[in-house]
Amino acid sequence: MAASHAADNPRQSSALQVETSIVSHFRTHVVHSPNGQTPSNPTAGNAPTKRDPNAPQPTPLEKLLADAGPLRTDGSDKFFGFENFGSTCYCNSIIQCLYYSAPFREQVLNFPARSPPEALSRAPTALPRLNTDLSVSSTTSANNALSPPRPKSALSPLSSPIHRQQNKPGPTLATAGPPGTKPEDNKESPEYRKKLAVAAGPVLNMDYENSQSYGMSESLFTALKDIFEAVIAHQSRIGVVSPHKFLEILRRQNEMFRSAMHQDAHEFLNLLLNEVLEDVERFSKSQSSSDVSTQNADGESGLVNAISSAVSAAVPSIFAPSKPQPNNSHWVHELFEGTLTSETRCLTCENTSQRDEAFLDLSVDLEQHSSVTSCLRKFSEEEMLCERNKFHCDNCGGLQEAEKRMKIKRLPRILALHLKRFKYTEDLQRLQKLFHRVNYPYHLRLFNTTDDAEDPDRLYELYAVVVHIGGGPYHGHYISIIKTQDRGWLMFDDELVEPVDKTYVRNFFGGEGAMACAYVLFYQETTMEEMLREQEAEGAAAAAKAEEGVGEGAHAKANGFVPNGVPYTPATPMVEESDMFASLDHAATAPVPPMSPDPNTSTASEQQHPLENVASSPGSAALGFLEKRKAKAVAEKERKAAEKELERQAQQKRKEMEAKRRDNYKKQEEDLKAAIAASKASQAEEARRSGAPSASNDDAAISDGLKENGGGSIMSGGLNRFRHTSMSLRHKPKLWLQKEKEGQSPQPPGASPDKKEEKEKKNRFSLGKKKSGFLT
Amino acid sequence: MFVIPPPPSYPRQANGGEPLQTNNTIAHPTGPEFQLLVGEEAPPHNPNPLATQILPPTAGTKVSLAVIAPRQHSYPQLFRLDTFASSRSQIPPSIQEAPNETPSAGSNGVAQRRSNGVGPYKSSQTPVFGEGNPAFAAPNGKESKDPSKRRKPKNNIVKSNSSFVSRVIPHETLSKRLSEHTPDGLFMFANVNRALQWLDMSSANKEDQLTKILFTKAHPLCHDTNPVTRSATHIDVIMGFSTGDIIWYEPMSQKYARLNKNGAINGSAVSEIKWLPNSENLFLAAHMDGSLVVYDKEKEDAVFTPEEPVQSEKPSTDPGHRFSLRIRKSVQSKNQKTNPVSYWSISSPQINAFAFSPDSRHLAVVAEDGSLRVIDYLKEQLLAVYMSYYGGLMCVCWSPDGRFIVTGGQDDLVSIWSLEDSMLVARCQGHNSWVTGVAFDPWRCDERNYRFGSVGEDCRLLLWDFSVGTLHRPRAASMRPRGSVASQLPRLRAESTTGRVRSNSNLTAQSNGDIVHPVEPRARTAMLPAVMAKPVDDHPLSWLGFEEDCIITACKDGHIRVWDRPKEGAAGSEGTISTSGSTANL
Repeated sequence: MAASHAADNPRQSSALQVETSIVSHFRTHVVHSPNGQTPSNPTAGNAPTKRDPNAPQPTPLEKLLADAGPLRTDGSDKFFGFENFGSTCYCNSIIQCLYYSAPFREQVLNFPARSPPEALSRAPTALPRLNTDLSVSSTTSANNALSPPRPKSALSPLSSPIHRQQNKPGPTLATAGPPGTKPEDNKESPEYRKKLAVAAGPVLNMDYENSQSYGMSESLFTALKDIFEAVIAHQSRIGVVSPHKFLEILRRQNEMFRSAMHQDAHEFLNLLLNEVLEDVERFSKSQSSSDVSTQNADGESGLVNAISSAVSAAVPSIFAPSKPQPNNSHWVHELFEGTLTSETRCLTCENTSQRDEAFLDLSVDLEQHSSVTSCLRKFSEEEMLCERNKFHCDNCGGLQEAEKRMKIKRLPRILALHLKRFKYTEDLQRLQKLFHRVNYPYHLRLFNTTDDAEDPDRLYELYAVVVHIGGGPYHGHYISIIKTQDRGWLMFDDELVEPVDKTYVRNFFGGEGAMACAYVLFYQETTMEEMLREQEAEGAAAAAKAEEGVGEGAHAKANGFVPNGVPYTPATPMVEESDMFASLDHAATAPVPPMSPDPNTSTASEQQHPLENVASSPGSAALGFLEKRKAKAVAEKERKAAEKELERQAQQKRKEMEAKRRDNYKKQEEDLKAAIAASKASQAEEARRSGAPSASNDDAAISDGLKENGGGSIMSGGLNRFRHTSMSLRHKPKLWLQKEKEGQSPQPPGASPDKKEEKEKKNRFSLGKKKSGFLT
Repeated sequence: MFVIPPPPSYPRQANGGEPLQTNNTIAHPTGPEFQLLVGEEAPPHNPNPLATQILPPTAGTKVSLAVIAPRQHSYPQLFRLDTFASSRSQIPPSIQEAPNETPSAGSNGVAQRRSNGVGPYKSSQTPVFGEGNPAFAAPNGKESKDPSKRRKPKNNIVKSNSSFVSRVIPHETLSKRLSEHTPDGLFMFANVNRALQWLDMSSANKEDQLTKILFTKAHPLCHDTNPVTRSATHIDVIMGFSTGDIIWYEPMSQKYARLNKNGAINGSAVSEIKWLPNSENLFLAAHMDGSLVVYDKEKEDAVFTPEEPVQSEKPSTDPGHRFSLRIRKSVQSKNQKTNPVSYWSISSPQINAFAFSPDSRHLAVVAEDGSLRVIDYLKEQLLAVYMSYYGGLMCVCWSPDGRFIVTGGQDDLVSIWSLEDSMLVARCQGHNSWVTGVAFDPWRCDERNYRFGSVGEDCRLLLWDFSVGTLHRPRAASMRPRGSVASQLPRLRAESTTGRVRSNSNLTAQSNGDIVHPVEPRARTAMLPAVMAKPVDDHPLSWLGFEEDCIITACKDGHIRVWDRPKEGAAGSEGTISTSGSTANL
C-alpha cells in the first residue's frame, strides 16, 4: 500500500497526484513500470503497462463475490440494489431487509407455489419488458466469475455485441463533464457509484406482474414475490431491481404513499406486513372455500397454470411447484407475530384483568444514552392510567385509575423493533427527530416476558438495521445494513450494494452530531450453538487476517499510517488504496470505455493490483522492514518474480485485447454521443411540452435515456424519464381507473373517512406503548 | 440527591463490623473553581455518515494511577498467599481460609489494586511467570540487583524525530513540580483521543498537565503503570495503541521505547495492557484479534513464528473445543532473546479487557463474543469459560480476595461470578445501557460483604453491595445438579473442591466441554438491585476507579471527574452525606 515515503499520510500524497496533470500521471506510470515490460506495440505505447486503465475497477461487492461458487436456488447469494424513483428509499430499504430474512424469503417464494424457472424467463422475454440485459458476461470480470457459463449461452441472443456496447456508458458520464464540479463526478460519492451500479446492470425492470401464474390476484404480495423470483431466477449475482409494479400497486392502494414525499419506513413495513398477511390469508381462504371448483376460481389463470405445469412436468426441476397449502397461510404470523399481554390492575377494586394483543413489530420510546434492552424494559414498565386516560373497569364499573403493564407472552421469531425517533412536539406542532444515542447489541434476549412465556430466554441476533439519515422526519434518506447468510454485512443504499465491516453496524447508535441513526432493527431468533459457530468463524478470520498482516502485509501498516489506520484488517485499507489509484487512472485516461470487453485480462490485472502497487511504489515503507527480515525479503522476491512471469503472460493477452477494445470503445463512444444527443433533445422537448422544469438533472436524464437504449426497451427515453420523475401525481387518475376496472372496492380518491378506518385497521398490529391504550 | 433505600434483605452485621453504608449520595459542587479544563481537540468529524471506511478503534478515556510511596497500612489482607503450596492450589487460596479474619478496617488496597493485586513486597512468595525456564534466569537476576537504578528506555521523547510522536508538551517547570510532589500524591495518566496526559492530582494546579504527548495518528487505547519499579525518579508506563504499537514510557526522564513496531509481532490494536504482577519487565497486551501477548519491555522485536506443537489444533466437533487456549509460543520456550515472550490466542475476534487475580495466579479475560475466560497464565491453561446473558462483555475485575469476578457488558448487566463454585452468583440490573467499567471498592469490602461500582454508557455510576450469606436465589437455582451450591454458599470448603475447578491433574484430564458453562436462564438467577444510581456525566462513561478518599470516573469524551466519597466513620445508616467533590475536565 503504497504506503509512500511520506508515510505520514499516503492520502495526502495521492491527493497530490490527483492534482497533477494527465501527462505527469503517465510519467509516473512509466516510472512505475520499468520491469522490462516496455510495450512493444506502438499503439499501446502511452498505455500503462501494469494494468489496464480501461478495465473497470471491480466494486467491493464484486471483489467479495469473486470466489462465489455455483448459483443457489434459495436466493441467498443474490445482491441486488433497488432503484430509487425519488424518495422511495423507504421501500427499498425495507424490502431488502425482508429479502434477507431467510425464512420470509423462503415462504414468499413457496407460497402458494414457486414459479418454474421457465415461466420466469419466458414471461419477460414474451413481454419483452424485463430488461434482460444479460451481457453481464461482458461487463466485468467479477461478474463473469459470478455467473456460471451455462445459462449465459442460453440467453445469448439478448447479449449480442450491439447491446453490450450501447449499454455501458455509465462511467463516461462523469468524465464527460469538467471533473469535480458535480457531486456525481466524485468517484467516491455514492451518487456516482449508484450510477455505476445501474450502468453495470443488469437492471431488472419489474414493470410486469406474474400474479396469475401464482393463481392470485394482483397485490403487494404478488408484486413482492415477482421481485424475489426475478432476482433469484437471474443469472447474475448482482444488479439493480426497478420495482415499478410494486410501487404502482402500493400507491394505488395507499393514498399516503402516493406523494413523492419522504415516507416513514416503519409505517411502510407495518403496512407491507399487514398487506402480505391479508393477501396470503385471503388467497388461502378462497382456496379452501372453493376447493371443489378450483378450476373456476382461477379461471383466467387456468391456461397459464396448465402451461406452466406442463412445462414443469416436462422439465423436472427443483422448482417443482407444490400444491398450494392452505394450512400454511399462517406463515406471516409465525414469523413476525408475537403476543403481548397487558395486565391492568384497577386501583379501586384491585382486580386484575388481562388482555392479549398480537403485534407484528414493537415500537419503543427512546431515552438519551440508553440501549435497546433498556428501551424494551421501559416498554414493559408499569404505567398509570389516570386523569384523562382512566381505565374502564368491568368489575367495579366506570372509569378508574389503574396500573397497566405490557409483557411479551409469545416471542416472535423475527422481532422488528421500531425506535420511535420521530416524536411529536407540542411546541412546534410537528414531528421532530430524536437523535438520542441508543445502543443496540448484536445479540438480544428479552427481559420483559411474562412468567409463563414459552422460551423466555430466546436468543435473538441482529440481522438488519434500517438507518434514517437526515435532520427531521419530513426529509432524509433510508438505507439498510443487513447481515447476509454467508457474505457478512452489506450496506444497501438504493442501487448501491457494498460490503461493510461488522463494526460498521455500530456506527448508527445516534448521539450528538450523528445524522444517521438506526430506525428499525430486525432481530431474528438464533441459537447459542449458531452464535458460537459464527463467532468462531469470525475469530478464525481475524486471526488469519492478523497473520497475513504480520507476514506480507506488515509494511502496509507502516506506523499505522494507513489511510484508515485499520490495524486489524490490513486488507481493507489496501482495497481503499487501490480504489484510489484506480480513480486516478480513470481521470488520467479521460474518456475510456468503462467496461472491458475482455473479462480475463481484467481479472488478472485487478486481482494482482494491490500487491503490485506495494511492490512497485518506490517510497514504500516496506523497504525498511525488508532489511530487518531478509528471509522474508527472499520470499517476497520469489513471489514477485512469479508475479512478473504471470504478468508477462497476461501482458501478451492484454495487448491482443487492447486493439479490440479500442475499436469497441470508439464505436461505443459514438453510440453514446448519439444517445446523449437524442436524450437531450427528447428532454428539451419534454420540458417544453410539460411546461414544467424537469425534476431530474441532466445526468439522470441521460442515464435514463441510455439505459433505455442499451436495454433495448421499447419505450422512448423521454417517456421513461417522465415516469421516473413524476410518478405519483400524474399516474394517480390512471391508477384509480385501473383499480375500478379490477372491481376492487372502487373508492373515490376523496373518501377519506373510509380510508382512515382502513388505515387504522391495518395498523392494528403495530403496538406502541402509549398508542395501544386507546387505539386497539 | 438520589437515594435508593436499601433492599429489604440488606445485611446488618452485629459483630462490630463496620456497617456498610446504605444511604449513599454523592454530589459535586458546580462552579468555575471546581472545573479544570485541559483542552484537547475533538476528533475530526466525518461529514459522510455512510462512509464505509473502517475507522481505527478508539477508546474512551481510561486512567492509570500511580503513587510513588503509598502509605503502608497494617491492615489485614483480604486474601492470603500462604496456601499456595497446598494441594488445592488451583483455587484462589484464601477463600476457604478466612474464617477468623477480623473485619477490615476499611483502608486497604492502594498497593494491591494498583499492582493488579500484589505489591512488590510479596514477590518472594508469589510464583513467577516463566518459572523454571532457564532462558529467563540471566536477565532477571541482573535486573533486580539495584532497584534504585532502573534501566530507562533509550530514546528521548521530547527530542524524538519519530513520525509516531507528533508533539510533546512538558510543563515548563516540570522538574520543580516533581520535586514538590509529595510521595503519596497521586499521579494520573489519561488517554484522550490521540494524546496521553500526565497529571499530578495532588498538586495545587492540577489542571496544568506535567506532560502531554500528542501522537501523530495512533490513538493510545490503554495504559498501565508498573507498581514494582516505581520510585521518586522512575515510573514505568506502558501504552497500547490502535495501530498495535506499544510504547514503554518513563515520564520522569522523558524517555521512551517502541515495541511491536508497526505491528511486527501482532498488527491489531491493543485493547488492554497490563504489567504482569511482580514483574519489572514483562507485561501482557491483549490484541483485538484475540491474541494475548507477553512482551518484555527491554527486548527487541522479532518476527513472530508460532511455535505450536504439531498436534495441537485439529478441527474438532467438540463444542468445547471452540474455547481452547492456543499456545502459539509458550513462556517455556527456549527462545527468549526477543519478543514476544509468550503468545496465546483465544478463539474470539476481540478481547475487550482482562484482569489479573489478586493472588497473581489467574487471568480473567472478557471478549466481544460474550465470554469470560479464566486462565491460569502461569501454567498457560484455560480453566473456565462463562457466557454473558447476551452481547459482548466489556469490563472485568476481581474482588479484593479473589473469590469473585465481576463483569459488565452489552446486556446492560453486571454479573458476579464465583470462581470456586464455578457459577454465576447474581446478575445486577440497573444500568440503562452498556456497562463499560466495574471496580471493587476495597475500602468497603470485608470478608463477607462486598461493595463494587459500575459505570456505563448511560452516563451513570451505580454502587452495588452484596453479601455472600444473604443473596437471594430463585428457587429453581437450588435444584441444580451441583453439589456445592445447594444451600448457603461458598464457604463450604470440602464441597468446593468437587466443583468445576479442580486440581491441576484433574483439570487437564477434563475435556474442554466441561469447563464451558452454559448461559443461565433468567428464572434461575438472582437479580441484585443497586444501592445507588446517579448520573455523573453528560457523556457515556468509560472508566471507574476507587481511591481511599475519592471515586474517579472518566467519560468517553475525556472528562475525568473526581468524587469525594462519604468519609469513614460518618457512615451512619441514616443521614445522607453530601460531600464536596471536584471535577476535572480533561
